[in-house]
Amino acid sequence: MTAVAGAPQRAGTAAPGRRRATRTSPVRPSGADTRLTLAQLPAFWVVVALIAAGAVTMGGVGWEFLTTYPAAFIVAAVLFALYAVPFWLFVSELDYLEREPPLLQAVAFAWGGLVATSVAIAGNTAVQDIIAKLGSPALAATWGPATAGPALEEITKTLGVVAIVLIARGQVNSVLDGVVYGALVGLGFQIVENVVFAMGAVAASGQGDAIGPVVTTFLLRGFLAGLWSHTLFGALAGAGIGYLVVRTDRRLRTRVGVAVMAVLGAWLSHFLWNAPILGDGFGNGAVAVLVVLLLKGLPPLLLVLLLIRSAHDREADYYVSQLVDLNDPEVVTPRELRALAAGSRRAGARWHARSRAGHQAYLAVRRLQRAQAQLAVAVSRAQLGAVSAAPGAAHLRGAVRRHRAEVLRQRAVLRRLGHPEAYAPADQPGPWRRTGGRIGLVVLAVAVVWAAVSALGGA
Amino acid sequence: MVRRRQLASLLAGLVLAAVLGLIAYGLPAIDRALPSSEPVPAGRPYDVGGGVTLVPPAGALVDLTRTRPAADRGTAVFLLGAVRYAVTVAPFDGGLTAAADRLRARITATAGYQVTGAESTVATAGGVTGIQGGYTAPGRAGRYAVFLADEVAVEVTVSGTDLELADALPRIEAATGSIRRGDAS
Repeated sequence: MTAVAGAPQRAGTAAPGRRRATRTSPVRPSGADTRLTLAQLPAFWVVVALIAAGAVTMGGVGWEFLTTYPAAFIVAAVLFALYAVPFWLFVSELDYLEREPPLLQAVAFAWGGLVATSVAIAGNTAVQDIIAKLGSPALAATWGPATAGPALEEITKTLGVVAIVLIARGQVNSVLDGVVYGALVGLGFQIVENVVFAMGAVAASGQGDAIGPVVTTFLLRGFLAGLWSHTLFGALAGAGIGYLVVRTDRRLRTRVGVAVMAVLGAWLSHFLWNAPILGDGFGNGAVAVLVVLLLKGLPPLLLVLLLIRSAHDREADYYVSQLVDLNDPEVVTPRELRALAAGSRRAGARWHARSRAGHQAYLAVRRLQRAQAQLAVAVSRAQLGAVSAAPGAAHLRGAVRRHRAEVLRQRAVLRRLGHPEAYAPADQPGPWRRTGGRIGLVVLAVAVVWAAVSALGGA
Repeated sequence: MVRRRQLASLLAGLVLAAVLGLIAYGLPAIDRALPSSEPVPAGRPYDVGGGVTLVPPAGALVDLTRTRPAADRGTAVFLLGAVRYAVTVAPFDGGLTAAADRLRARITATAGYQVTGAESTVATAGGVTGIQGGYTAPGRAGRYAVFLADEVAVEVTVSGTDLELADALPRIEAATGSIRRGDAS
């Protein structure tokens, strides 16, 4: 092992003078501020009250479903709750280096599932009625869902990210944080909305407490429409709020403009999805409908994936540079820095350790990477705490010592196992190859689910 | 300083709640302020959706909050005083009996609603055959009918008090008899 000489530009090996993070300051860590606890912030109690009100409203809706169609409702709730798990894990993993507190993640999800849904249900109905009254019922039937839903739902979901900023400004310190909170708000909305739609399908089927319409809705809305739905729109809008909050080096006008553009982008993606455009553009066959789905869904999906990649890389640059500045090969090596900066390489390093030194090495690398990430965050916050002389500065320095000790402990474990360095082999597939592979898998999965839905007669 | 931060936090939280309040309560208030029904032109076919039309009952108002005609399906709700006359069109790939079963199940899914009497066949002026029957609900009586035309099911439900229903039924039956789908009638 050698001392670390340079910080990664994208993935670990550029000169410090070329660091993107240094040039653009995309990450604004905050030192601990113990002057006001969460409970002392009035905005926190407003958010709690709003979530409680949303829970009462949506609880009433759920109770009605449960008493009318008990089996169908339970199946729908369980299916979509399970569906949320991989989404939640994926979104949480996006910000591996600086994970968001579970409480705030839960608040974001609850906002989407309880506040945004209950407000949007009332608003959507009203707007569609207003369109019918001022225009015509036909106009409301054709364009109402594309007009009311995107406008109101994107606003109510974006306010969820704003709520997170109001109660925990210090936790939104990169564009990626905005993406994570926005995606979680969107996920909460998507799950509850899907359950409501599933129950609507059960009621419309006229088959009583039947599970078939729930399964069809699960396949249709969970898979065919699930990848480019509220989670995606929320992530895009959240990125804008993240930019507004973080990029204080830019003029306020610019930041507000970017935030507005991001929310408009979310609205446009949602509008295109709901709009009757291309409704009959390619005929009525399964393939034709699949083409329309991909045409409407893939562009925003690719846009958000590129956005996430850029935001992730910038944040990784910043936190990895914190470790570079420690200049301590016992804490991190250049090859470990490269691995730490990307999720695929982190996983590659773990599997490489397993192949060379067994499962214990796999676990030790995982703990080492976690500790290195926590150390990077702690270092960045301690520096800020030292500058601002915040009351929690001593606590922050303690966190640095604690995480450094954990890194050294895991290093010792790896050394004992004969695999002292947690690096990923250089012959891993490139990022574009991986991305292409994933998109191919998505397209294949959509096609398979479409075939299943067609067989069920639900399409 | 702390108090200023708390005040700012309170203000921001209240603004957040106010925006949500505008959406949840302001928009429905505007909606309620606008008239929810309007007269339909007499004697002219009305588009229900899914290619289905009917000539609305004379003197009926169309309920603008429930009527939604779309390309492949739709709903039209007409009001004759307190009598509600609803026509719903949706794709359906089963037979007429299955369509009638589905409509009956949907009616009786509401607490207190019961189907009464025997069903009978019915036909529109254009020759589309269907099944009709009656039901009761707390304080109200109702009629239903279902037709199948070119893989769409047309469901008709009528409800009102006995007296109002008896008065409006001839006009409603005439309207139901005018149901047509495209050129196939």
